[in-house]
Amino acid sequence: MLSRSPDTDNAYPWTEKVLPTQLEAIREVEGDIMDRLAQVDYDEDLQFAIRLAFEEAVVNAMKHGNRMDPARKVLLTYRVSPECIEIRVRDEGEGFDPGCVPDPTIDENLQRPCGRGIMLMRSYMDTVQYACRGKEVQMVKFRRSGGGGTKP
Amino acid sequence: MKIETREESGCQVVAIIGSADVESAAALREALLGTIESGAKCIICDLGRTDFICSDALGVLITAYLKARMRGGFVRLADPQQHLKDVLATTRLDHLFDVFADVKAAAGGRKLH
Repeated sequence: MLSRSPDTDNAYPWTEKVLPTQLEAIREVEGDIMDRLAQVDYDEDLQFAIRLAFEEAVVNAMKHGNRMDPARKVLLTYRVSPECIEIRVRDEGEGFDPGCVPDPTIDENLQRPCGRGIMLMRSYMDTVQYACRGKEVQMVKFRRSGGGGTKP
Repeated sequence: MKIETREESGCQVVAIIGSADVESAAALREALLGTIESGAKCIICDLGRTDFICSDALGVLITAYLKARMRGGFVRLADPQQHLKDVLATTRLDHLFDVFADVKAAAGGRKLH
């Protein structure tokens, strides 16, 4: 994650939210993030990229981490500044090894209907790191980097 | 997300309007697979008014593509806007799907690339 100064943290504080494992719970937080991005003039390409990565991260946490167990929660922490957005998504599952996820872009996997979430997050964000044995994903998108995905 | 279906040039056109997000994927699945199960062979997904697509919705498109192909038909994509073009390129799904500039070109089989 980025190194931070107290001044920066005070100007653009972190927001923490606990979501129930319900897909419809994503929309309110996503709306808050999109509003904050618009307030500091992130363009449409950046907003699309961040929305896509955020949705994939939270859906992965709910579906694959928490296995849609309503008793489990998803912890979201995020911060929007004029320079970048930082997002952390943590589930209450068993964790996983992100290095073991098959590459969905190779020819033999193109017809698989699932398994693209992590690849999209990595393509559309500048850094994607896993912590806590795969239970937490930490993502950063710098405003200067632009919004488009990257071809593998 | 809203879905509109229509017949055009002998094809069934399924227009996806708005955001094809995780909450919309089930409705999209129902619309596309229902169209295939009703006997349609030529299905065109009109993406001209689709402003967002997530991996779940991409999975639905792939499932529909495979199901249509098993029944001797096909699913073609038409008129994706730049963000969706980027997603299709990033995932390399533009190598799986035939992508067309518009519905008319999709019905006639004139590919975008």
